[in-house]
Amino acid sequence: MRRSIVITAAVGLTMALAACGGGTGSGEEETTAGAEETTEDGGSAGTLTIWADEFRAAALTDIVAQFEEDKGVTVEIVEKNFDDIKDEFIAQAPTGEGPDIIVGAHDWSGELVTNGLVSPVELGDAAADFSEVAVNAFTYEGSVYGVPYGIENIALVRNNALASDTPATFDELIAQGQATGAEYPVLIQMGEEGDAFHMYPLQTSFGAPVFATDDTGSYIPELALGGDAGTAFADYLASIGQAGSGVLDTAITADIAREAFANGESPYILTGPWNIAPFTEAGIDVTVLPIPSAGGEPAAPFVGVQGFYVNSYSENAILANEFLINYAATEDVQVAMYETGGRIPALTSAAEAVSDDPIAAGFVAAGEIGVPMPSLPQMNSVWAFWGVTEANLVSGVATDPAAAWATMVDNIQGAIDAA
Amino acid sequence: MAAEAYVQMKDRRWWREVSWRYLVAVAAVVYAAFPIVYILSASLSPRGTLTGSNELFADITTAQYEALFQTHFPQWIVNTLVIGGVTAIATVLMASAAAYAFSRFRFAGRNGGLTFLLLVQMFPQILAFVAIFLLLLSLRDVIPILGLNSQLGLICVYLGGALGANTFLMFGFFNSIPKELDEAAKIDGAGHARIFFTIILRLVAPVLAVVALLSFVGTFSDYIIAGIVLQDQDKLTIAVGLYQFISGQFDARWGIFAAGAVISALPVLLLFLFLQRYIVGGLTAGSVKG
Amino acid sequence: MGPFFLVKLSVLALINAFGLFVIYSAWQVSHWGILGSMVAILIVANWVYFSKRMIAAKYLFPGLVFLLVYQLFTMGYTAYISFTNYGTGHNATREDAIAANLAQNENRVPDSPSYPLTVVTGADGELGFAIIDGDDGVLVGTEEQTFEAAPDATVTDGDVTEVPGYSVLTFGEVLEQQNEITSLRVGFDDVDEGSIRTQDGSTGYLYRSVLTYDEATGAITNTDTGVVYSDNGEGSFEAEDGSTLVVGWRVAVGFDNFTKMFTDSRLSGPFLSVLVWTFVFAFLSVATTFFLGLFFAIVFNHPAVRGRKIIRSLLILPYAFPGFLSGLVWAGLLNRRFGFINQVLLGGAEIPWLTDPWLAKLSVIGANLWLGFPYMFLITTGALQAISSEVYEAAKIDGARAGRVFRSITLPLLMISVAPLLIASFAFNFNNFNLIYFVTEGGPNFPGSPIAVGATDILISMVYSVAIESGTQQYGLASAMSILIFVMVGLISWLGFRQTRKLEEVI
Repeated sequence: MRRSIVITAAVGLTMALAACGGGTGSGEEETTAGAEETTEDGGSAGTLTIWADEFRAAALTDIVAQFEEDKGVTVEIVEKNFDDIKDEFIAQAPTGEGPDIIVGAHDWSGELVTNGLVSPVELGDAAADFSEVAVNAFTYEGSVYGVPYGIENIALVRNNALASDTPATFDELIAQGQATGAEYPVLIQMGEEGDAFHMYPLQTSFGAPVFATDDTGSYIPELALGGDAGTAFADYLASIGQAGSGVLDTAITADIAREAFANGESPYILTGPWNIAPFTEAGIDVTVLPIPSAGGEPAAPFVGVQGFYVNSYSENAILANEFLINYAATEDVQVAMYETGGRIPALTSAAEAVSDDPIAAGFVAAGEIGVPMPSLPQMNSVWAFWGVTEANLVSGVATDPAAAWATMVDNIQGAIDAA
Repeated sequence: MAAEAYVQMKDRRWWREVSWRYLVAVAAVVYAAFPIVYILSASLSPRGTLTGSNELFADITTAQYEALFQTHFPQWIVNTLVIGGVTAIATVLMASAAAYAFSRFRFAGRNGGLTFLLLVQMFPQILAFVAIFLLLLSLRDVIPILGLNSQLGLICVYLGGALGANTFLMFGFFNSIPKELDEAAKIDGAGHARIFFTIILRLVAPVLAVVALLSFVGTFSDYIIAGIVLQDQDKLTIAVGLYQFISGQFDARWGIFAAGAVISALPVLLLFLFLQRYIVGGLTAGSVKG
Repeated sequence: MGPFFLVKLSVLALINAFGLFVIYSAWQVSHWGILGSMVAILIVANWVYFSKRMIAAKYLFPGLVFLLVYQLFTMGYTAYISFTNYGTGHNATREDAIAANLAQNENRVPDSPSYPLTVVTGADGELGFAIIDGDDGVLVGTEEQTFEAAPDATVTDGDVTEVPGYSVLTFGEVLEQQNEITSLRVGFDDVDEGSIRTQDGSTGYLYRSVLTYDEATGAITNTDTGVVYSDNGEGSFEAEDGSTLVVGWRVAVGFDNFTKMFTDSRLSGPFLSVLVWTFVFAFLSVATTFFLGLFFAIVFNHPAVRGRKIIRSLLILPYAFPGFLSGLVWAGLLNRRFGFINQVLLGGAEIPWLTDPWLAKLSVIGANLWLGFPYMFLITTGALQAISSEVYEAAKIDGARAGRVFRSITLPLLMISVAPLLIASFAFNFNNFNLIYFVTEGGPNFPGSPIAVGATDILISMVYSVAIESGTQQYGLASAMSILIFVMVGLISWLGFRQTRKLEEVI
């Protein structure tokens, strides 16, 4: 008796719930279909989902509104923490739940391609409108996997109140910096785990790039940072480290370097466009310059390119490509992205449009000799060893620089082989 | 050792037995509070660093707090309070019910059950995130409200850990409530449910408060599971949201992070102040054989 | 028919309704696992709550359901993953991997032009492309029908707007069949010339596919080089020379992940020292926090101390901050050159708190002490109050000194009540990833170590840095490691619990 009451009640409620569930669902579909006559049978065909970080999301709103109006579709921009985008995308895309487009860095491409998560993008004739380094950066094994929008690299930033003309070599720069009597002759952030990204221009100036390149300039998974050139760089790092002249110090983390420069405690800092705002807000008059060479060869910084990837599991590939090629890759959008994020536009015309800004021009000039950050998946095995070894050289923990560097190369090779 | 005896005791004895305790108190409070004072100072500083802001309270500005409230932070506070509150209440209910069962009934597997609950908790969840993610992903297809990117889904994940140590903690406490009380109520005609809800739960209120606090703190400081489950900016908890401020590769915003940290400590502190009279005396008393 | 029965009835009705709803939805989207679990849960729920017996089960059931779904299931799933090669490059199914490899190796023919393209449907409704080829005018074709001239087609503003025998799709219609259109290839009479495809529905490009998949042999052939890549049974397509295609898929690999820790010399080298440190760290963490917390508890448990409430509230402060945050703050405070401790408290001494292997170990224990003592302070305060004062009075009458009272009375009595919590705390610290990760990141690294593992790394942080953070994610390995760690810490705790049971019986 009691049981039948419960069962009746339960069934009744289930019906009600199911009816509600079904009811709201179909209701939504009807409204969508009503709003866009073009997509009668459901919402998904006309909805594009984009994952972007805070700044890019803001920069995209105008063009997205335009796109929605032109095409009669809905675009949903989901704001994500930049560093979470890649991992969440890798986790979600294979399940079919991922977004259609993500905003990301070019050096993700190796990993994304290895996982089969992104589709090649055909830039077509538009390819010529982009800066060459930007398109090359997104090229992996012969195919282009992203529509680039911004380029960034580090440069030498000078506090004009403390120094006015900059010498051509890094040693002279240090001497000049020391002569100013400032607390630090030059600031390069590192931290206890090292920072190979910010050290890279010094390393390349000794002729020790991380990976070898083939005749087309693409990286091949063959380590090139060892040998005599690498040893020379290791010796140099140790000589300007804590046991040497003390220019570099592992205690100088990113925020300490930024603060010290903003406080006028150093004439020079090696940093990227992301730090310019704090400096100008602190009232520092800065000039952005190419990085002087320490080892005789050009001091080439890594160039990072940011762009849009299309999910290979996307059900909206046409819409996604249409948006990227014909909307995102336009001058207005790229200039807007520059204004919110400080990255130099990848579209040549947009880059020219912002070139009257001396800061932007300075970063462009410094990046001209730059090299794209390798997007090889093997690169993932490099970072940790690289940074820590440099930190050990600077801190003086590694007393034999040549041996420490050689061990590092062996370990990286071991990690690559094991991966 | 009645308290009155000390109130009336002579000065010399006070000096010998009590005065040094205040010195310890000062040292202990300085030790406990100085990193927090440091964060407070950093949050009020116009400089955006956490390391090296060593001149405490040199310049004071509320800019970081203002900037903080320009973000989704107010929403994160609400989310955290809701998620933490619901989890805490549900945890208390489920764990106390389980503890009641272990304490008052005899059933197969009772002896091993408690140890089993405790041991299960020791699985390192930080590496089980893939499984949690995939589980919620499937659930989303069927019941969106329990799936990925749902706060209710996150609460359910937390409730998976509702038993375990909590039941253990309560079990001892329940045992210290004399069984004669149950027997008397039973003779009066009360069923087991009435005994549990109207008699036992009242008597064990202190340990309920403790478990609620522990559960709330646990939920509050978790950023790993919450970070996997919640994805939209306006759904995050404080811990996940704050972590975002500093995990950016090039734009770690320590100042705003410090401001958020200071504010985020308040709910737990207030909850503790509110529950303190239950907690002192409530935490382990029950484990002593009663 | 008391009020409890009515409450029970309505709650059960709600649960049943929700359960049936879930079953119904699971049915609709064919999620049989969820459907089956829900059916089982419902049956057991009704059985338990309508039975006159099984009273204990009525109280255990809700907690157990959550435990089962969210903990035991995830543990089981983790165990399952630990037998696979799930991770970077082995991320999805075999079908996905084939599709991805083929798509990645379909390349645009170098220097080929771009064709303005219009999507059309033929008389039978089959999809096709109409393109404008510079020399030949409009060409139209479908998957079956290679391109042929359509001289009567209308071209407006450089776009094909009408083709006799075909109907032109609007943009909205294109959007409805995006997958079909992007996978459509329209070829020319000459097969080697390649085929036209489009990504945006308005421009076509000439593509040639380098790889072909043969359903019968399950192998992929490179038509340019003739190399055959066959399924190597390990989740990759492998050629005879050992080279593999980029994208692989998930397969079972047996105990490989479990044995890796001991057979891979890169891992087994540092494994032992990390294991020892993990035990030392967990033990010292519990011991230091316990004794400091106990010391404070005893000191402030004196009835003559005024303001105990305030002191207790202030001492609880470290507990009120999320743990990862405190770890970061300590890392900042301990910075060798700029940290508050060196610069202000020690007058500018450059003590390498985080970079010297031994000092770093000391630092993480110290930071953990700060984070953990409030909890111990709380539980020992509670436990102290539960010890009856008569015991102390008796000891006093016997003339016992304070030290002896502590050792012979306070500590043993305390241990009965807090020992299980200490074991739980040991297990927690055994896996205290947050602290290690945020204070030292496991560093300073062992100099020259072939994996990025350092002096303060505990097992869980070592696994994390090897299997997750190293760039190539190896979820299979990570899962296997977490199972091993669980077995280890579970076993130790279980032995510990047995000991405390004995202790309890003795006293």
